[in-house]
Amino acid sequence: MTQKKYERKAVVKILEDRCKGCWYCVNYCPTKVLVISDKMNAKGYHPPEFREDKEHVCIACHLCELYCPDFAIFVEELK
Amino acid sequence: MKKGYLKEGNYFWSGDIAAAEGAIAAGCRFYAGYPITPSSEIAERMALRLPQLGGKFIEMEDEIGSIAAIIGASWTGERAMTATSGPGVSLMNENLGLAVMTEAPIVVVNAMRGAPSTGLPTLIGQGDLMQAHYGSQGSYELVTLYPSTIQETFDLMLHAFNFAEKYRVPVMYLIDGLLAHMYESIYVPPIEEIEKKIVHRKRPKEGQLPYEPDEDLVPPMPLIGEGRNIHATGLTHDERGYPDLTPQAQEKLVRRLNEKILKHERDIWIVEEYMTEDAETIVVSFGGEARAVKAGVDLARKEGIKAGMLRLITIWPFPWEYIKKYTADFVVAELNYGQMYHKVKEYAETPVHKLTKMGGEIHTPQEVLKKLREVSQ
Amino acid sequence: MSIFEDMRNKQEELLRTERLPHVWCPGCGIGIVLNAFLRAVIRRKIDPEKLVVVSGIGCTGRTAGYVNVDSFHTTHGRAIPFATGIKFARPDLNVVVFSGDGDLFAIGGNHFVNAARRNHDLLIIAVNNFTYGMTGGQHGPTTPTGAYTTTTPYGNPDRPFNIPHLAISLGVPFVARWTTYHVNQLQNSIYKALGMKGFRLVEIISQCPTVYGRRNSMKSPLSMMEYFQKNSIIKPNASFEEMELTYNGKIVVGEFRVRTNIPTYEERFDDVIRRAQNEN
Repeated sequence: MTQKKYERKAVVKILEDRCKGCWYCVNYCPTKVLVISDKMNAKGYHPPEFREDKEHVCIACHLCELYCPDFAIFVEELK
Repeated sequence: MKKGYLKEGNYFWSGDIAAAEGAIAAGCRFYAGYPITPSSEIAERMALRLPQLGGKFIEMEDEIGSIAAIIGASWTGERAMTATSGPGVSLMNENLGLAVMTEAPIVVVNAMRGAPSTGLPTLIGQGDLMQAHYGSQGSYELVTLYPSTIQETFDLMLHAFNFAEKYRVPVMYLIDGLLAHMYESIYVPPIEEIEKKIVHRKRPKEGQLPYEPDEDLVPPMPLIGEGRNIHATGLTHDERGYPDLTPQAQEKLVRRLNEKILKHERDIWIVEEYMTEDAETIVVSFGGEARAVKAGVDLARKEGIKAGMLRLITIWPFPWEYIKKYTADFVVAELNYGQMYHKVKEYAETPVHKLTKMGGEIHTPQEVLKKLREVSQ
Repeated sequence: MSIFEDMRNKQEELLRTERLPHVWCPGCGIGIVLNAFLRAVIRRKIDPEKLVVVSGIGCTGRTAGYVNVDSFHTTHGRAIPFATGIKFARPDLNVVVFSGDGDLFAIGGNHFVNAARRNHDLLIIAVNNFTYGMTGGQHGPTTPTGAYTTTTPYGNPDRPFNIPHLAISLGVPFVARWTTYHVNQLQNSIYKALGMKGFRLVEIISQCPTVYGRRNSMKSPLSMMEYFQKNSIIKPNASFEEMELTYNGKIVVGEFRVRTNIPTYEERFDDVIRRAQNEN
């Protein structure tokens, strides 16, 4: 089975200091462009990190924004 | 004359009706309440009269909801009122604290009846004097007024609303089972004349924070719907209104809440001094009870006893200067086991005597006379 | 700018961002509900100056402190009567009560039923996390029978409210229930409710991993979300029994009642004023 190719439409911005590390965004991202990072924010949580590669691109579905309980993530669409 | 306004003239009213009409004359256009004897006729009068003036009346599910609703209405700029009796005040005391903390001007009428509990629902009591001040949570000051005639019940409402608005504070307006249901003839001046004396709450200057006080320690009040993004909370807060849960914020806020009233106590004190100048014994009294006390003092004078009466119209903040200035003996006449007795004792440098009755009826002038004879011997 | 980005900017304006991060625990659902609510407000093009948010006490009660509109954090259980006073005094305002299940249905239960009965023009956002979170996870009026909380250490012997059914029995014109998993449906229901009048209730089943999930084998935020995902059934015409919530059981969600043109208390009082003034 061939992997369906998605068009790269946006990048994800993370306001790290607002993040509390619930991982909803990582879990619900349909194209898996978010991963748990190693860094730690001021409150001691590991914010997600936006990581693109050939198979993982942001399709601008904005689900991470809707699931984020901390207003810590937003999707910036490519012009 | 504006629609719904009373004509100048004489009216034959109960204290409940006078309290309602006095409030309306003082600009009250929002009432939320729950019926309770002996205050229910205030709600009935408001239900009849407020819609005639385009005002709002709502009968809530309980007293808790009633006071919550008037605090909400107060934040929209309304001069808002509720009325109840002691058991209802007990339920309101939770949110009375909210009104104190968020500095929402409201007027709460308490028609005092015999208590504790259901007590004597239709009869006079004066047992809620301490409840009026200390019923809610924490340390705070508020204003408590207590008229003694039906005319005064009408007239004093203007002061009640003005103090509430001027100092951003709840005002407890005490009447009692006697005043509530007793009818007397009273004179109502042209309402426009009363309206000229209405004091409006201060409005914030550009950029002034919602809880940033002026020199008088009172912060001008922003209103809902003006785009000021008010935040009000019962939590200890800073001048923006945001929670600040520190001992420092608590110290600053609670001190100011007390001092904004105490600083202005002389403006708030209203006391009637009746034949006190040369008096050797002064009876301290208030409300319905003071009517009998006055008659008792008159009887004593006829016997050559140098008696006088101090009638506290402002109960809180306690008008202590009026006690301190006399060197006479004091008798505190009240319909409870002895409440204001302790306040008088706190300031008097002379002997203080109790004249108490547990409620249900006022003292007779003869009972007052008897006490004066005893004390003056 | 895409509509999403525009919404995002407007959302930031509707938040007191200087107070973020907020007090809610990692994975708490209240933030998701607030997020959906603000987006619905923006889509409805509600003038922020005409929007008032009133909360009670508790975790959800803290919501009022984060919205950058006129907002009131009142006493425990009293958000509805406080909001009633605002709405009745100023019927032109959009007044929203945003509070939790304990606040609205236990201590505030009497206010809820009576305000619903009178049909005040209020939108009620009721976040139901099955527990008293702020005080440490005690059982509340919505805790499912059998659930473990700090005050039901042997399992809850009590029976929870069937909130949508309660509201329907009171004639509430708009009754919906979603979980925090249903982010889009939730936002759409709030959007729809904001466009209606009368007493409108949106119940949101929300996760409290910290003090509820932990004691009921759903320790992580995601495990509670998975529970909602796997057990939710959309059924708008659900029966009383179907709407009942059971311990770890199915969660029936949907818009259960949508009625227009039921006169509000405020409208009926306008008639009172008209009658009173004509008699003068």
